[in-house]
Amino acid sequence: MATVVIMPRQGQSVESCIFTEWFKQVGDEVKKGDMLFAYETDKASFEEEAAEDGVLLGVFCDEGDEVPVLQNIGVIGQPGESIDEFKSGGASEPTAEVQAETEVAEEATTSAEVIEVKTQEAGDDVKISPRAKKLAIAEAVPYETLVGTGPEGRVIERDVQAYIASKPKLTPLAKEVAKQEGLQVVEQGSGLGGTVKAADLSASNPVYAEDYEIKKLPNIRKLIAKAMHASLQNSAQLTHHLGADARRILDLRKQIKAKEGAANITLNDMVCFAVIKALQKFPDANAHFLGDSVKYFNKVHLGLAVDTDRGLMVPVIKNADDLSISGLSRQFKEVAESCRQGSIDPELLSSESASFTVSNLGNYGVEMFTPVINLPQVAILGVNTIVPRPADLGGGVYGFVPYMGLSLTYDHQALDGGMATRFLKQIAVELENLEIDI
Amino acid sequence: MPKSQFIDPKEVRKAGKVQFKDIPVNQYKKTVKEEKSNFSKEELIGIYHDMALIREFETMINVIKIRGEYEGIEYNHPGPAHLSIGQESAAVGMAYHLDVDDFIFGSHRSHGEILAKGMSAINKLDDAGLKDIMENFFEGSTLNIVKGGHIGDLKSLARKFLVYGTLAEVFARETGFNKGLGGSMHAFFTPFGVYPNNAIVGGSGDIAVGAALYKKVNQKKGIVVANIGDASMACGPVWEGLSFATMDQFEQLWEGAHKGGLPIIFNIMNNQYGMGGQTCGETMGYDVAARIGAGVNRDSMHAERVDGYNPLAVIDAYKRKMDLLKEKKGPVLLDVLTYRYSGHSPSDASSYRSKEEVEAWEAQDCIIAYGKELISAGVASQDELDAIKSDITELMKYSMTLAIDEKVSPRMDLVKNPEIIGDMMFSEGSVDKMEDRPVDVNHPMEENLRVKQIAKKERFAFDKDGKPFSKLKQYQLRDGLFEAIADRFYKDPTLVAYGEENRDWGGAFAVYRGLTEALPYHRLFNSPIAEASIIGTAIGYAMCGGRVIPEIMYCDFLGRCGDEVFNQLPKWQAMSGNVIKMPVVIRVSVGSKYGAQHSQDWSSLVAHIPGLKVCFPATPYDAKGLMNTALQGTDPVVFFESQRIYDIGEQFHTEGVPAEYYEIPFGEADIKKEGTDITILSIGATVYRALEAAEELEEKYGMSAEVIDARSIVPFNYETVVASLKKTGRILLTSDASERGSFLKDMAQRITELAFDELDAPPVVVGSRNWITPAYELEEYFFPCKEWMIDAIHEKIVPLKDHVVKNNFTNAEIIRRSKLGI
Repeated sequence: MATVVIMPRQGQSVESCIFTEWFKQVGDEVKKGDMLFAYETDKASFEEEAAEDGVLLGVFCDEGDEVPVLQNIGVIGQPGESIDEFKSGGASEPTAEVQAETEVAEEATTSAEVIEVKTQEAGDDVKISPRAKKLAIAEAVPYETLVGTGPEGRVIERDVQAYIASKPKLTPLAKEVAKQEGLQVVEQGSGLGGTVKAADLSASNPVYAEDYEIKKLPNIRKLIAKAMHASLQNSAQLTHHLGADARRILDLRKQIKAKEGAANITLNDMVCFAVIKALQKFPDANAHFLGDSVKYFNKVHLGLAVDTDRGLMVPVIKNADDLSISGLSRQFKEVAESCRQGSIDPELLSSESASFTVSNLGNYGVEMFTPVINLPQVAILGVNTIVPRPADLGGGVYGFVPYMGLSLTYDHQALDGGMATRFLKQIAVELENLEIDI
Repeated sequence: MPKSQFIDPKEVRKAGKVQFKDIPVNQYKKTVKEEKSNFSKEELIGIYHDMALIREFETMINVIKIRGEYEGIEYNHPGPAHLSIGQESAAVGMAYHLDVDDFIFGSHRSHGEILAKGMSAINKLDDAGLKDIMENFFEGSTLNIVKGGHIGDLKSLARKFLVYGTLAEVFARETGFNKGLGGSMHAFFTPFGVYPNNAIVGGSGDIAVGAALYKKVNQKKGIVVANIGDASMACGPVWEGLSFATMDQFEQLWEGAHKGGLPIIFNIMNNQYGMGGQTCGETMGYDVAARIGAGVNRDSMHAERVDGYNPLAVIDAYKRKMDLLKEKKGPVLLDVLTYRYSGHSPSDASSYRSKEEVEAWEAQDCIIAYGKELISAGVASQDELDAIKSDITELMKYSMTLAIDEKVSPRMDLVKNPEIIGDMMFSEGSVDKMEDRPVDVNHPMEENLRVKQIAKKERFAFDKDGKPFSKLKQYQLRDGLFEAIADRFYKDPTLVAYGEENRDWGGAFAVYRGLTEALPYHRLFNSPIAEASIIGTAIGYAMCGGRVIPEIMYCDFLGRCGDEVFNQLPKWQAMSGNVIKMPVVIRVSVGSKYGAQHSQDWSSLVAHIPGLKVCFPATPYDAKGLMNTALQGTDPVVFFESQRIYDIGEQFHTEGVPAEYYEIPFGEADIKKEGTDITILSIGATVYRALEAAEELEEKYGMSAEVIDARSIVPFNYETVVASLKKTGRILLTSDASERGSFLKDMAQRITELAFDELDAPPVVVGSRNWITPAYELEEYFFPCKEWMIDAIHEKIVPLKDHVVKNNFTNAEIIRRSKLGI
């Protein structure tokens, strides 16, 4: 009896995932526990193991397909077994929402169709009908980049026609020049009614013909880009910088290192511990700004920015104020690791889940930066490197004291400067007087 | 079965027995001495001469094949050489009494018959007639070669002409009797009454009957001789020829001058072997071939075995039998016993017979024995006979020298004129009537009931408001065919039509209804249910100069006349060097509803054979126009009709089907519906389903389809299709023929070749499944329908929005089916 492979469900809110890769080909033998396929949510990438021994009999989705969770995506079974009963639509139909959007767009502009283009990779076979090719060449259409709508994805005449309709008209000269020299057509020409003239064609460097490479954004990158851009657009952000005397925490660190068997509590753990204490005193900073209201959290849900190969992730430690510093430290290590592994629960990556975020660049020697708030949180703390600074040691004696830079970005919509400054100062105070059990 | 013939159960159920007349065997016993009073000395010596001429001609070819030289003249002849050494007396005896107007048809072993009949004709023609023939044959090009330096009378020049023309043909020279396109096995010369010799065993067995039919129908002088071998008596088409030739209706139903038996002698050149198979004792059971006559008709075909080793015995038999034919008591079956010393062909080692047997026959050699008799009867001296022989040897040397000279006797120059054979495939004539004389009809056309009835019909299917008239009011496709055919019957006196149920029934599909009343029996009659004879006789009829419409009631029966349709009909125009015309229009009806052996569209099979024109109209307008063109032409046409649409009205030609005569040229496809997004090219009745598909494409998918009706498939002008493709970029081809090997595949390939850059998708063929045709109730799973066409378009040409396919046109399915051969 064949076993169906489904797109796993990822958290409550994930409706569909982007399928990224089959690790097995149809016909390959599969052992239980073998890595079978990879997929992404809007937050993270995942790999899934095979649940059964057998042969991969069929797959119903390809790289890049958006597949609703729980939908059948493949079948494992014995050779010869029928897979027909498991077949499903593969890639999901566009959702109603998307359709509505498209319809609005169609109303708005007459050049209704959205022309999908892809990046041509070296060695890719372009499937194109002779007629479409002839037209593409005559009209200087870069047909290699078109996504075909014909049988088996073949580029057919209508695809080329649609592309032509979506682009400004070329003057006959421009057409010839573009054809001959392989120049790119700009979006908007300088001729009458936006007609592209030969001079408008963007020349590629004749010596380093292709001195760049265009790569498609991975899904996670697209999401980060969107979130960051939205943050800057939708809030009134500014950053205060302040130094905290780091002698206490450096001393604590030294003690930890010296003591055999002690939990490896890092400076970052200490900073976060101090931040939690400060947040308990400043509930205005432990909040979400919702436009016409503010959501104040009774507990501290601390987000921590983690750099991974897949991109920036911000997992959250729920109820961080209940934890001892060693508990906090352990939990940080766990979530950071599962982020790097790609196995983090997407729920924990949501900016809605955290009440405040810490981003630590101190390890990299950054002396000052302006972190970007994860909306709807009202602030984020950037942690900088420790630098020695001259200080009045009392009694007319001046010496170098290690200071840790703290950069607090806050949303002026939610917090005023005074409050923010006092909160930032409180973090410094907590750091300078930190008490932990070693 | 005509109503005039009452089948009385009391009569036919009566007890009795069938009695056969005796069939004489070798009854002729006279000697030259006894016959001296009936022949002049010249005639008796002439018989010797003709036999010796044949013997030397074939000996020459034999030694060329074996030794590469003759009398010291070197030559290599790679072509065939089926010799009849030993059989000369049979050939000369057969030809002796025949007049120029008497036609002989032969086999692959007919050099002897050509020379015998040729010499006979030369002896009977006067100088003017002889001169006229030689000077006009291929503008005198053959004559000019032998004319130079000729000393002697015209008849001796004609003898050179005959030997040279035959030999040049054997050697495939353009100066041969058939421009070298016939060769050894097919050489012939119609001006001397030598009609095509046939390399298919028994091939002349039905064709010659058609020639006799021509003589009878058109009241032409002369008889016809079918020279066929003893082994050919096993061949179906020969039996069919015998059946056709002995139909009772000639005696019982045909009237006036046309009443009576066909003037034909089936002359079995019984050399007692079929290749190596011994017909008496091994491969046949008739013992004496003449016995067959007893089984064929009441007269036992006046059958007789004649000693073919004695020329006088054969001559005697012919005299008697020709008298019978003159009395319209034919046909006649002659079993002329003979023997060939030579092998079947030069590669024959004679492993199937003993040396003693060959020597025993050689000891009775017909030429030596006859020569001895001439001497003993005092007709000729040995010296005279020797002189004849050495004169013949000189003639052979002379003819061979000329025939192998590349300058004098070149072969066709296909370098200089690469299309010379192509140009001969069709005669492309446009001829109102094959002969100018009054037509035999029973009443003026306007008095014909069918004509009157059609006059009341609506020649366009729809009224002013676009509402269709009732089926009965509509001028139907069968009416279009009727009008064209009736018109030709009233124009061309040679036109005859026949087939199964053609007369009283009015044709199985009522095309001929009304013609029974209009035409006498000899112009429209029922044939035996014997398709080989239906087509074979039509070929013979046309060869002699008549126009004919044979009918194959169901396309599926084409296999029954495979040799006639594939090997004979298409070949003889070109094989004759365009001497022969072939105005034969075979009506072929494509069935449906009747299952696996009555529902097949085999247009692809005939389209594959070079030399046939093929058309398949689907509207009354096209049917009439194309039938007019077919009947005006001089080429063989296979005219397909579909039983699905005999009753269809004219839906396209808004002015209605013209009552007047008009022609639609072959090869021109017709756009039945204009469109811009996809072209559908259809053959035959499928066009109506293509139009349904076009309608649905337009309504449901906003796709505008152009529907092109091929109308004819050979010839075919691709320009219309290519022009359409320039517009649409997409093409689907459809017909009711089974998809594998369908002519549509040929068209799809041509289209790809001619318009590759116009194609937005590969041309897609939707034909019938590669199955048996199932019962009518299951036909929707077998024949193409609009759903199949739309599914195929969606799958292979352009995905249609929201279309749900029901039929599998995927590549995987194509591969699966191909792997299984289904």
